[in-house]
Amino acid sequence: MSYQNYVVAAYAVFAIVLAWDFVAPRLQIRRELRAARLRVARDNSRNGSTELTR
Amino acid sequence: MMWPAARALMARDLRLLWRRRGDALQPALFALLVVVLFALALGGEAQALAKVASAVLWLAVLLAGLLSLDTLFRGDAEDGSLEQWMLAPVPLSWLVLVRTFMHWATTALPLLVATPFLAELLHLPHGQLPVLLAGLALGTPLLSLLGAVVAALTVGMRRSGILVALLALPLYVPVLVFGAGSVSAAAQGLDPVGALLLLGAGLAVALVLAPLAAAAAIRIALS
Amino acid sequence: MNPVVRWFHQLGSPPYFDRFAQRWTPWAYGLAVLVMAYGLYGALFMVPADYQQGDSFRILYIHVPSAWMSMAIFALMAIYAAIALVWRIKLCEILAMACAPIGAAFTLVTLVTGSIWGKPMWGTWWDWDPRLTTELILLFLYLGVIGLYNAIDDRRAAARAAGLLAIVGVALLPVIHYSVTWWNSLHQGQTISLFGKSHMDPSMLPPLFAMIVATKLWFIGSLLARARADNLRREAGKDWVRKLAGAMQ
Repeated sequence: MSYQNYVVAAYAVFAIVLAWDFVAPRLQIRRELRAARLRVARDNSRNGSTELTR
Repeated sequence: MMWPAARALMARDLRLLWRRRGDALQPALFALLVVVLFALALGGEAQALAKVASAVLWLAVLLAGLLSLDTLFRGDAEDGSLEQWMLAPVPLSWLVLVRTFMHWATTALPLLVATPFLAELLHLPHGQLPVLLAGLALGTPLLSLLGAVVAALTVGMRRSGILVALLALPLYVPVLVFGAGSVSAAAQGLDPVGALLLLGAGLAVALVLAPLAAAAAIRIALS
Repeated sequence: MNPVVRWFHQLGSPPYFDRFAQRWTPWAYGLAVLVMAYGLYGALFMVPADYQQGDSFRILYIHVPSAWMSMAIFALMAIYAAIALVWRIKLCEILAMACAPIGAAFTLVTLVTGSIWGKPMWGTWWDWDPRLTTELILLFLYLGVIGLYNAIDDRRAAARAAGLLAIVGVALLPVIHYSVTWWNSLHQGQTISLFGKSHMDPSMLPPLFAMIVATKLWFIGSLLARARADNLRREAGKDWVRKLAGAMQ
């Protein structure tokens, strides 16, 4: 019986899950920094804002 | 201070329950419905039902208890009483314990009373009934206590229905296993006492630790 | 102040932690990949096929390290959660919650690779064996922690509630395992132990050790990355985040 397909499948699952685990936080960080950039841009465009900025 | 507080809380709960007497029957009705649905799905034939009767009964009681968890703290969370609990001069875990006991007495006890009747519907062999009732008598308070921790964790949330079930069911597994397993063991001629004693031990531990965990969870949720 | 103690205190500062995580994440991942490369190569090509199980046993080199990580991460998550609850340390809240998705991922790998391994070996994709069943319940516990953390709006309260759940879970996990083992012994016919008594020849061990080390290194990298992301999310309105985002224009 050829076990090759099973071994390939198992290693593929491992690779896919780890790839997801690598990519997901990177996307999240990118999203957070982009949101912060947009917030900075919005505050700068608001001329003479008297609001307290945190 | 602790016993007068307990009496006051129990009296209040009973009074509130009396005003909505109909609600007290709902867990029992739900368990009956589950039994009916299982019987219909399995084909209604006495032999087949008898084999799975104890498991189905355990599941019916467990699921009915799960659904009724919502009423454990929600009423008091919504009208601000829970915050008064936190400020009370008695330990929060004591109030949680009293409330959980009242909840068990009003939702699970009717289920226990209904069990022999439901068992007949599923053709449970009569010899298994005492073990089943003993397991439920030990297991349902344990489920209430574990459920109290989960209910406390989610007390702040509005639409927590399925999440409560997802959180509670893994914690319920040992109770279900030992409870249904004790009847299964008895059916096979083995001694069910070991499993029942383990349920008892779990109940003893939970009586002390679960209110503490639930109190911590309430403090987190209302912080 | 003792430099080690000072370093711990500094880590608690969000911008310092951000810089720390940003610096060390690539090293952790890089080292993990290197060690994993050796481990995988060894598992696939160097180690001889097993006498009984043939090539399918190479799945062990993925399955066993993942299983150990799934348990170890749960314990670590509970420890971080306990520290966070007792001492109210924000960083430990973040670390505890960052552990959950990584642990869930390893648990999923364990279950799926175990299932794939089981099919040619024991003819079935699934069996209600105690270890498999407990691992499945462990996955539910992880998902519960993640779900609870995401369900509450206030990040700090959410982390503390989910942390409390993790602690309750870790306390109950041995009980769950014991109960399923007992249940298994009741029901005859479960005579196949999925992890048979096959002793490993010493020549088969080095890649396994390598994979165990590699998965730990990978976990550290992932933990730092996810903690950094959560840290940024929590501190979203703060000046240091704005400066950081602005600097990356």
